Amino acid sequence: MNRSPIFSSGLELGSFVVTSNVLHHSWAAISELYGEIHEPPSWDSPVRFRTFQQPNCTIIAFVTWPPCTKEHLQGQGRGDLVSSSALKETFPLFEFLCTKTNPRFSINKPAIDLFVSVRGVLNFLKSQISNKPLIITGHSLGGSVASLFTLWLLDKINLATTKRPLCITFGSPLIGDDGLQEAILQYSAWNSCFLHVVSDRDPVPRVLISPYNPTAPELASPTNEYKPFGTFLLYSELGCACLEDPESVLVLLVATYSEGSGFDYKDIFQQLNGNVICKDSTKVDEWIAQPLQAGIITQLGAIGLGRLQQLQQQSIDMNTLIRQTERRERKWLIRRREVYDSNVLSEMKVYMAQLEWYKKCCEDEEIGYYDRFKNAFDSSDIKAQGFKKSLTCYWIDMVDEVEKKPQRNGAAFTTRWLFAGTNYRRMIEPLDIAEYYRDGKTDYMAKGRSKHYTQLEKWLSEDEKPASRPNNSKKQNLAGGLTENSCFWAYVEEARISCNVLSNGESNDMDKHKRSLIVFEADVMGMLNNYAVSPEIFLNRSSFMKWWKEYLEIIRKGIMGPSHTSPFTEFMQNRQYRQYAPGCL
Amino acid sequence: YQVQSAVTDRKQIVFTGHSLGGSIAILATLWFLEKFFKSDSKIPPLCLTFGCPLTGNRIFSHALGRENWASYFIHFVMRYDIVPRLLLAPIPSIEQEFESILQFFAAKSTNESAGGVPEEASDFHMIVMRNAASVATHAACNLMGSTNMLLETVTSFIALSPYKPFGTYIFCTGNGKLVVLRNPDAVLQLLFYSSQLGSEREVAEIPCLSLHQHFGYESELQESLEMQDVVDLKQLETLPLSAEVTGGDSATINSALNDLGLSTRARLCLRAAGVLEKRKQGNKRNIDAKEKDIHNAMNELETSYRAYCKLRKVGCYDAFKLQKNRQDFDANLKRLTLTGIWDEIIDMLKRYELPDDFEGQRAWVELGTRYRRLVEPLDIANYYRHLKNEDTGPYATKGRPKRFRYTQRWREHAEKMPAESSGESHFWAEVEELQAKTGNGEGFEEVKERVLKLERNIQKWVNGGEVEKDVLLEESTLVKWWKTLPQHHKLESCISGLIKN
Repeated sequence: MNRSPIFSSGLELGSFVVTSNVLHHSWAAISELYGEIHEPPSWDSPVRFRTFQQPNCTIIAFVTWPPCTKEHLQGQGRGDLVSSSALKETFPLFEFLCTKTNPRFSINKPAIDLFVSVRGVLNFLKSQISNKPLIITGHSLGGSVASLFTLWLLDKINLATTKRPLCITFGSPLIGDDGLQEAILQYSAWNSCFLHVVSDRDPVPRVLISPYNPTAPELASPTNEYKPFGTFLLYSELGCACLEDPESVLVLLVATYSEGSGFDYKDIFQQLNGNVICKDSTKVDEWIAQPLQAGIITQLGAIGLGRLQQLQQQSIDMNTLIRQTERRERKWLIRRREVYDSNVLSEMKVYMAQLEWYKKCCEDEEIGYYDRFKNAFDSSDIKAQGFKKSLTCYWIDMVDEVEKKPQRNGAAFTTRWLFAGTNYRRMIEPLDIAEYYRDGKTDYMAKGRSKHYTQLEKWLSEDEKPASRPNNSKKQNLAGGLTENSCFWAYVEEARISCNVLSNGESNDMDKHKRSLIVFEADVMGMLNNYAVSPEIFLNRSSFMKWWKEYLEIIRKGIMGPSHTSPFTEFMQNRQYRQYAPGCL
Repeated sequence: YQVQSAVTDRKQIVFTGHSLGGSIAILATLWFLEKFFKSDSKIPPLCLTFGCPLTGNRIFSHALGRENWASYFIHFVMRYDIVPRLLLAPIPSIEQEFESILQFFAAKSTNESAGGVPEEASDFHMIVMRNAASVATHAACNLMGSTNMLLETVTSFIALSPYKPFGTYIFCTGNGKLVVLRNPDAVLQLLFYSSQLGSEREVAEIPCLSLHQHFGYESELQESLEMQDVVDLKQLETLPLSAEVTGGDSATINSALNDLGLSTRARLCLRAAGVLEKRKQGNKRNIDAKEKDIHNAMNELETSYRAYCKLRKVGCYDAFKLQKNRQDFDANLKRLTLTGIWDEIIDMLKRYELPDDFEGQRAWVELGTRYRRLVEPLDIANYYRHLKNEDTGPYATKGRPKRFRYTQRWREHAEKMPAESSGESHFWAEVEELQAKTGNGEGFEEVKERVLKLERNIQKWVNGGEVEKDVLLEESTLVKWWKTLPQHHKLESCISGLIKN
């Protein structure tokens, strides 16, 4: 099947935003805030803010007084960036943005300074938020503060249960470098909270972009440049369009600037509303047949780059722009498909079924799949290894994805998903342990355990309902079940090591090993009473039974003290475990 | 009675109406379709509306598509007539001005020359158009497959009108031409874009026109009849994007589009609607191609697995639950293959990625029913084998996958059965649940009603051949459980006869 054509919906999204009234409400709040300020300008307390409770939403507005100008931003040191490592010591509120893959970011100094000046009221503002949808807005540098406030808030609220806030800035300068951009962009839910409205006449949002930024040449590397994030609504007197691709945004921010005085953001509502219900005047040439191309041309027309000469003047290559947008849209489509792909999931189910079967076949051979896999000698073990590998790759990715986007998993992170993960962990982790100890390594729990198992286990314990008493059906169905503690075999291996040490009698840690054996004994007994282990551990050739024989030897030698007994040793010596599998303890 | 006699005379019935009368005509047609057309009459009705306000939401439109009824509805819309667009604005937003507009309409319909256009007309028009723009652009973003999640964020701040068009729309350009459009997504776009203002100059005229045109259908259609100039927009995905296309077929289409005042931007939206429709058809072809895989896997289960179970003298359910032999494992793999295919289909349906009529197709309804009867018991066996009832809850309420819920509904709908009455494929779950409740010989009285109901159903289904007889074998979970029930109950039970034989 040939690929279906791609569209660019920037114009539609732009119109939708305009007709939704959110811009109107936000600007009304900002002008009311400006109207309240009577005192003469001073730089002592430059940030002003207020919460507006509207019938259907809450608006938090920020402005600075006096309003910021182009000259102000171009002043000495105004373009400086503060790095996250410097912030860590003085103002650690944004540490959460750093991840392993993206360890550093930098924020514009004036913006962060302004934000620091309101740190005392952050919690107060947060307390003003109700269940109503929330708009955070600001003009110019006030918009920068609004962005930072939103960012801070995103870390504090649970997006699985709360609606996403919307941050609308009007004519705000860029506030961060590529590190900040990356930190926000990797969570598409976060990125979707930011809408930056920029007029073609407003110099302020463009000041910090390198060609205009006087301090830029002094900065050593190109990584220290300001980068945009979120969606930009660019508008001219002809119309408006929404752009999300950060590279296109940078190029077009520069290209659309037309110097001229006397503009005011308050005019845009009337004008854009008019535009929305009027016919779009941009025409395309007859030879253009691709909707993506036509879509981009109409968008450029709306933001004031209609005529081709104008484009050439600004040295924008139309084809590059189209290619960029196209590549980006395709990339997104592929990513979305992956998320939805139920084929992968059903493939994983098949692998799990295969392993279940492998486990069953092993039991028929009286060995248990743990030991069979550890000794790995024929093709069925190699096949099992293949299934295990695919499953592990899949789940490592899944866990990673969930960790990275905790806010998006209100839907995906269901009990059923967790159940599948737990099942996977109980089935596969023993095989990992088998491989680990096969290679002669020790102390799996501390040194060998993969992080995704720990994480899955943690989620389960957070989700766990009060433990239920083992009931009849559980006892009867024991045969097919898995051991609940997926690290069981690691404990067995450690216990065998302890036995080994004790029987050789050449260690200084004899007491430690004895203690750990006693603890292990009691643990196993506890699990047995709860029917939490699979009866396969009692199979003739299993490591557990080997351990028991070794341990019995040690007890007989009196190493564990004279006449050591416990409920567990009695259980084993009386061969009560034979009644375990049928559920008749 | 008139309808009944027309049906007896084998005449076609035409329902028609102007303005709100159109909505009534639509509802009357639906009534007719449900009452007569599905059973006795094979002559399709026709519903013609003129300047009719939108009448249903997305579900409404989808349901008509599923039944293949959409083609019986034809709606005529004048290019600027406000009424068909009216409900794209939520009622509270237009309430204030609506009163005087209604008064104007009332006067106008009784007396041609009654009064001038009310002064609210301009505001009213503005509000309706802005809301129409909201709905249309929101829909267009989705048609175009926008990946910007800002759309979602902003949507939570506004109330969008739920109304959606359905059926065939015929737009009157105002100069005698007629433009025919069937794709409901495209109709929504055209409702907005065709009534956009050409320039600021029109701000004064159009609001008046938008009210007057509501009464202009007669003269306009008179003119159209004489001109016989009808353009049918079919291949939406190849519409010319530029207003200046010349030559061939596209010139005719282009001039029609120009007559409706469609800019490049509007044409892009129509194209997007066309592409989406085409993609749905493509998806359907892909799914239809998998029908063979489904058949193969199911045949395998039906013949070899059933035969193997018969040989072992156990029902499929119990054999599968035990998972003792290679054959059980193979059956499990087949089950998983089928799960994969069906889940994909259901996923597509949920995302509206298949044509509306998919769920109504006879072949798929039957295949779904066969699949459900064959495989759902295995799914239930798996569910209870893994004790999922303990952490997830009872299968029927918590664990039942959509692939079985949907297919059951298909059959119930196609055969006009009451909802939830075709549950023959998941009676095992009820057996398991009741077994857990009466396990130790107690608790029978509490669930007596459920037991009785289950027994009645089993009797009906086994006798009707909807459930295989192997469920009644000596060793089956059902029989073993039934035997633990109190003696006095067993004596009177309606399935005692079945079980003894």
